[in-house]
Amino acid sequence: MSWRELIQQELKAIFTNPSILFTVFGGVLIYSFLYPLPYTNQLPREQQVAVVNLDQSQLSRELERMVDATPQVALTHRAAGMAEAKAMMNRGQVQGLLVIPESFARDLLLGKSPTLAFAGDAAYFLVYGTVVEGLAQAADTLGAQAKVVRMVMSGENIALAAQQHTPIHLNLQPVFNPAMGYIDYIVPAVFVLVLHQTLLIAVSLLGCGQRTLAPAAGQRNYWQLAPAWQLVLVRALIFVVIYLPLVMYYFGFSFTYYHISRLATVSDLLAMTLPFLLAVIGFGMILGHLLPRRELAIVVVLLSSIPLIFSLGFIWPSSMIPVPIQSLVQLIPATPAVNAFLRLNQMGAEFHQVLHLWLQLWGQAIVYGGIAWLLQRRSRQRGMPPQVPAGSS
Amino acid sequence: MMHLSQSLRREWQVLAADGWLKALLSWVPPLLFLSVWAVFSAGIARDLPIGVVDLDQSRLSRQAVRYYDASPALAVARAFPSVEQGSAALRSGDIYALVVLAPQLEKQALLGHTPEITTFYNSQFILIAKLVKSAMMQAQGTLNAQLDTLMNLAEGNAVLSQALGKAVPIRTQITPLYNSNNHYGQFLVAGAVPAMWQILMVITTIMVLAAHDRQQSLQTWLKPAPCRRLLGKLLPYTMILWMHGLLFLVALYGVLGWPMHGSWLVLGGAQLLTVLACQGVGALLYLATLDTTRAMSLAAGFTAPAFAFVGVTFPATDMPLLAQVWRSALPVTHYLDVQLHQVNHGQHLSEATPQLLALAAFLLLLGLAVLKARKLAAGSNRQEGVA
Repeated sequence: MSWRELIQQELKAIFTNPSILFTVFGGVLIYSFLYPLPYTNQLPREQQVAVVNLDQSQLSRELERMVDATPQVALTHRAAGMAEAKAMMNRGQVQGLLVIPESFARDLLLGKSPTLAFAGDAAYFLVYGTVVEGLAQAADTLGAQAKVVRMVMSGENIALAAQQHTPIHLNLQPVFNPAMGYIDYIVPAVFVLVLHQTLLIAVSLLGCGQRTLAPAAGQRNYWQLAPAWQLVLVRALIFVVIYLPLVMYYFGFSFTYYHISRLATVSDLLAMTLPFLLAVIGFGMILGHLLPRRELAIVVVLLSSIPLIFSLGFIWPSSMIPVPIQSLVQLIPATPAVNAFLRLNQMGAEFHQVLHLWLQLWGQAIVYGGIAWLLQRRSRQRGMPPQVPAGSS
Repeated sequence: MMHLSQSLRREWQVLAADGWLKALLSWVPPLLFLSVWAVFSAGIARDLPIGVVDLDQSRLSRQAVRYYDASPALAVARAFPSVEQGSAALRSGDIYALVVLAPQLEKQALLGHTPEITTFYNSQFILIAKLVKSAMMQAQGTLNAQLDTLMNLAEGNAVLSQALGKAVPIRTQITPLYNSNNHYGQFLVAGAVPAMWQILMVITTIMVLAAHDRQQSLQTWLKPAPCRRLLGKLLPYTMILWMHGLLFLVALYGVLGWPMHGSWLVLGGAQLLTVLACQGVGALLYLATLDTTRAMSLAAGFTAPAFAFVGVTFPATDMPLLAQVWRSALPVTHYLDVQLHQVNHGQHLSEATPQLLALAAFLLLLGLAVLKARKLAAGSNRQEGVA
């Protein structure tokens, strides 16, 4: 079978298979809009907070106004006591509480450091963090003001006092995602995973579908006629060619559309993309040989998605993940790929800093490609596609 | 009764022939739930590596570094001679933050000039970044309070409490409600497991119908009594899928002992409705396509991004309208609302009613599946008539 003929047959097999087309083009396109959708606003804002003001002084009302003025929280409810405030939390009306103790203003002026109590709904981390950040910011500002006032009263120059109210100032600078936006956080990692999962499904659907197809009487199909190495090579190259524009669509159009930073050079991205795609394709071919029915490819990939995404290290630090899981996910191309793309494109790492990930991907590409070739050769030598009894696993 | 045992035996034969389906109905769900829990089993992040560039090399700068290192969440893993080297390590992800202590730090502090310590922290990984940021702020706050108190004492404020009062004008007490030790797992696992459960239920339902279809055409089998046969077929699986749901509830809120303030009855009821909703989705997808792969692709498209929409990681109130619409089309969204309000807030049944009604509305899907089954059965009649 000539190269040309084989390529034609492969293209025909892919582009006449609606499930593959839906997964590849439908999946990549739909997810490019669906995944970022919940995070469109980037940050939670104006979380609703109830205040219990037991002080009722001018100063405490000033604090209330300062709290309300922060972008993180809005004072929407007022409660007479803790019980009422707690009930509001339980009904889900508010996400946070602020309790201003009795004689707050007097204690502050006397230098007795009164205690403000905040509470937030920590069942939702982002909400909790936002509420606490807003409340702490307002309290800090008021505290600093009080301190400056006291320093001025004890005879310091006001300009100096405004500078000197803390011994050491900690200047915390977020880098790589300065606004701490959720799209910039989730999308760059999840998009690589979407490419990974759709490609994995597509390749295994094709392989598994062909392998389990009942043979036409006396006829051998093109994938049994072509030598195993040639088929594996052609299939890998065709999928690379199909996926390159999709990768460009994500890293190019989508990232621009969502204003996600692109610090990597095109050549670095390309250098990482090639072994990534090859590793996934090799992995998909192996799955295609091992699974008894083609829909199981979707089942396996779908079910592994959620555990996989949490194990990649961008949500929860890798060092905290149990070692067996850490080691297992190193076998999956998504792990080095997501980490490498994040470092190159989001964090501006130099290529030599991700070289080990690049080598890991090439290693996977070669090993998985080799195994795929052996499995293909075995299945071809049997002459007929092996009849896997339905249900054996 | 005779009839029931017959149909159960027949169901068992279908099952026995499909090892994958058997696995999905038995050990796969617990294993998946367990794996997600295992990822977060540490619960609280400790010793996240940070780097320092100490250009001052004074007693104070070393004291500051010790304070950062003493924070349980942080560990000063590396010291760099220059900011360039430190920032390279930050970019490669080796450290989560880089603390730069400028020269003359101690001198300026002693002169009362408020020197600045700059910390660059990696905010790409937001949840980790927030941990690093608050740990840094806390460590710095402790150090500042100590320095301030010492200075105040040195200035002649003899009483420690007064000196402290001058140093820290307002003290704050922060209470994380419903998750008192800020346990990461409690937050993410409680949301991720139901999202996975939804995936499992939809695909299992598709596989159940597909397994039957492979052995005996669904159309012919449905023909005598489409409604009864379809529902009768789904019913035993309702029980099994429900068991999976109860299993993770008991594991999380019973065995692990995470706080649970609500009613098990309401939770169980919400789960049953969720199972029926997901069976409706699965059955409808299969009967509409009669092609396992196609039904499975659609199921994947529908259920895979669910976790992003349930509102656990990002609050639902801050989602745009379109996301809200998509979110309310997912059964697990309403289920999770019930679950979180039950376990955290111990909501009363009347307060949970809207979500329960939303879940009940998904029963319409089962109705549509029955209609589709009727149509298929009628279609097979006609075909036979033509033949």
